[in-house]
Amino acid sequence: MQIHRTGKHIMGGTLGIIVDISLNSLVLSGVFLIVAIGLNIIYGLSRIMNMGHGALYAVGAYTGYTLVATGLNYFAALIIAPIVVGAVGLLIERTIIAPMRKRSMVYTLILTYGLMFFLDGMIKYVWGNKPCFIDLPAFLKGTIPILGTQYPIFRLATLFFIAAIMGGLMLFLNKTKVGIILRASSTIPEMVSCLGINMNYVHMGAFVLGCIMAGVAGIIAGPLTTIDPLMGGEMLISSFVVIVIGGLGSLRGAVIAAILIGFVQTLAEFFITDLAMVIVYILMAVILAFMPRGLLGEGKFE
Amino acid sequence: MNHTATIPGIKQGLHPLKILIIILILLGLGIFPFVFENRFYISLITEMMIYGLLAMSLDVLLGYTGALSFMHNAYLGISAYVVGLFLIHVSPTSLWLACFAGIAFTTIVALPVGWVQVRTGGLAFALLTLAFGMMFYTIVWKWYSVTGGDDGLMGMPNPDITLFGWHLGSSSDPVAIYLFTLVIAFICFVLTRRIINSPFGAVLEAIRENENRAAFVGINVRRYKLLGWMLACILASISGALFILYKGYIGPSTMSAFAGAGVLMMVLLGGMGSLWGAFVGAALFIYIQDYISTMSEHWEIYLGLVVIFLVLFLPTGFVGLGDHLKRFRKG
Amino acid sequence: MKRFITISLSLMIAVLLFAPQQVFAEKPVKIGVLVPLTGIVAQGGLEMKYGIEMAAEEKGTVLGRPIELVVEDTQIKAPVAVTKAEKLVYKDDCKALIGVFSSGVGLAIAKNIDKLNVPFLTTHVMTTALYGLHPLVFRSGQLANDQTAVGNINGILARPDLKDKTYYVIVHDYAWGHDGGKRFIDLAKANGIKIFNEDYDKAPTSTKDWSSYISKIKASGADGVYIVFITNVIPTFAKQMSDFGLQGKIKIISAAAPGPLELEAGGEACYGIFGASDWSWDVNTPVSDAWELRFWNKFKTIPSDAAVHSYVGAMNLFNAIEKAGNTDAKAIADALRGISYDGPYGNVRISAKDNCMRNDAVLTETMAAPENPFGAKVYMKVLKTFTAAELGPAE
Repeated sequence: MQIHRTGKHIMGGTLGIIVDISLNSLVLSGVFLIVAIGLNIIYGLSRIMNMGHGALYAVGAYTGYTLVATGLNYFAALIIAPIVVGAVGLLIERTIIAPMRKRSMVYTLILTYGLMFFLDGMIKYVWGNKPCFIDLPAFLKGTIPILGTQYPIFRLATLFFIAAIMGGLMLFLNKTKVGIILRASSTIPEMVSCLGINMNYVHMGAFVLGCIMAGVAGIIAGPLTTIDPLMGGEMLISSFVVIVIGGLGSLRGAVIAAILIGFVQTLAEFFITDLAMVIVYILMAVILAFMPRGLLGEGKFE
Repeated sequence: MNHTATIPGIKQGLHPLKILIIILILLGLGIFPFVFENRFYISLITEMMIYGLLAMSLDVLLGYTGALSFMHNAYLGISAYVVGLFLIHVSPTSLWLACFAGIAFTTIVALPVGWVQVRTGGLAFALLTLAFGMMFYTIVWKWYSVTGGDDGLMGMPNPDITLFGWHLGSSSDPVAIYLFTLVIAFICFVLTRRIINSPFGAVLEAIRENENRAAFVGINVRRYKLLGWMLACILASISGALFILYKGYIGPSTMSAFAGAGVLMMVLLGGMGSLWGAFVGAALFIYIQDYISTMSEHWEIYLGLVVIFLVLFLPTGFVGLGDHLKRFRKG
Repeated sequence: MKRFITISLSLMIAVLLFAPQQVFAEKPVKIGVLVPLTGIVAQGGLEMKYGIEMAAEEKGTVLGRPIELVVEDTQIKAPVAVTKAEKLVYKDDCKALIGVFSSGVGLAIAKNIDKLNVPFLTTHVMTTALYGLHPLVFRSGQLANDQTAVGNINGILARPDLKDKTYYVIVHDYAWGHDGGKRFIDLAKANGIKIFNEDYDKAPTSTKDWSSYISKIKASGADGVYIVFITNVIPTFAKQMSDFGLQGKIKIISAAAPGPLELEAGGEACYGIFGASDWSWDVNTPVSDAWELRFWNKFKTIPSDAAVHSYVGAMNLFNAIEKAGNTDAKAIADALRGISYDGPYGNVRISAKDNCMRNDAVLTETMAAPENPFGAKVYMKVLKTFTAAELGPAE
């Protein structure tokens, strides 16, 4: 696509466009990353592919909407909404996931598929069909000039939030006892069990942590576009692409894959809008054909 | 996963009572449209048969080869589009040629896809089917000039069904299409059953049970998985040809991830690992979905609950119901 | 073996139990209502349902018999809609079909109307393909794409600040979007209005993240954007334009009226959307005001154009059945040609020439709402009224 220029321009020149695209793709990558990490934590540890992850992401967004709509500060909602989603995750884990852990993966896959329908349906039931918008605090609204373009402040703030969350997660996994147990369990569960740690709690913890990630992603992504009942399904497909390319269960792979996909999708949408998603899927197929274990070769299958 | 207790490799003869029941069911289905002349029900059962065929193809994959496909409806869709396009653009009257074109094209597409997919493990296979399925869906949706995009394929002609010069009926006649579908579906069922009960089918089941052990015994796991995949896709493409002849229309929504989940539910409902269970599952699913969606606009909640319930308590599906009842009575 | 027998027997019993019953001639006149109740336009579909329900309740009886509405969800998917249409006609014995939001769905049903053999009245489909499509297919609803294009172009030409802008065109990627985009671009070029991209951008109907499109708009240097989007999506787009600081700098002109509920959610960010539409609750005639209050009291939903079109369309249908004197498809169809109804947006007449309606319309712009009984904060202010003759098409 050639970029035509008319006599009047509103926002900057080519530099502005480059900044726009780069920042847009970083934001997209960031959201993908948080969702994918959540999925990977659950899969890496319990070998459960949670198809309901997208729906939980949506629940996070809607919960955030309701909290803010009842007058709560956005930042408070940012903390509370993921906790709510975590609680929902705990309930789900105890009731339907735990009994399934011994069974073959096909069944858990179908089970969580059913969960997705259920959650999506509940969202529509509780919040209705209309799109919702989260009301941001005044200082986050508006745009600031960056290198020739006006960019929304909230999107920049999002990048900070995501960096903070990733930082916190890394600290948690590397420095805290619970985090280390989680990491160990995903590599050698038997050893961890031998050390006297109750694996049931570990699985539970992993699932809840994954759900909290989904909730965080939801409430961060909510104000970016809009909150509607279809957002869960769309995010699910995208997050699958990311974790498969990054390697199932690999956290570092997810980082690289998220950045790659965010970038490719944003670029493709800008230049070849029609085929953007097809390109992403082809990329996924090609990468998997030659590197079935993901970009870093760390994917785990059984 | 439950399946009829067979010793792999040994052909099962059919109990005469079973044959009688099958004949009765066939007769019943065959007479149905002449007894109950309500168009809606004739169409409904035709649709159940077509999806039953698709579900059976997925059962070959899931119940026998042990591979999960999230969007097997993609192959129904591709075949339907090709058949439709052939009839619209190439020759509005050659029904068999169009069907052949649809099946051939789908098979050619399924081959490289299958080749890529069997190189990966169980879960990645499933996720790849999702990716490829989404890819086909997006292509069909975006290629407006050829496929009509979101609006679907319009202007499908209604060719006559002729066999060796005998005019059997027009495809716009619901009864003719019903009977045509019945015959084709039954033939496919019988053929598939023979293939599954052959040593080939035994190999597939061995792979499903334990891939590593099958490999140790000297089975080329990848090749057999690919063959199983191809069989499943060919069956799906036949169902696609039937679909467009029946509906006169195909749109991208038939190829969506949501519809794909529906096919999976049909197999689950009917019970994996028994071919006829797929037909039962399809009939049940279509009926339930139609019923629930008419009753309430929140049918997704009920659908989700049904699926969860099934997986938790009745994973063997309808087919396994008999076993459950027996155990319950003895228990 | 025993299992096989048990299951076969239970199957046969099930078949007998659920076998179709003989349909007796029932007293009510059954009308099949096809609207999307799930999916992206679920809110619009719901409002359509409300409008039709209200009309049925107010009309009461037709041919001395009660009106029974059978509602089915099209899920905005053509194959589902066609199946539901068959169910309504063959199973539920409906004498007419009414509703349908999407042009794609409408055309798919129209294609099958010979088989269904009942009159089909669309109350929201905007595609121009419906003109004279089939003797049983009618439109009494939202302005068609060509009428909207005429209204919008007239509106733009009348405003000096809009006339000289360069417009970037984005449409939803399906029949209606393409038709609407083409109509506008052709008419704009004929009237000297500058278009940036004549191969208009096509966005998937499920698009929620407009940032890429907004970047493209910024890069193009256009200072106006013409959108052919589904009503419920328009406020989302407007809000994101505002997030990127473009509100007030790039004018949004819309082919469809934005959904009122979504406008409320979007708030201030949705001010300034300009476009032609049949109606907005700012229309201040006694008939309209009374209708709005009745609607609000009954459904506690802000009266929307989707609702009012469907109300008027339903009234036209019911009156046609009265005029026909019976429920025969051809008789109703003949009665529909030329029928008219005086309602909240004036006289709505179904043209005998092409089975589609002619009526007056309004040009609106969204802004802060004055005091109103619905508690709405945003509304579509009427800037001027068009006559039916102005909008065409000629008869």
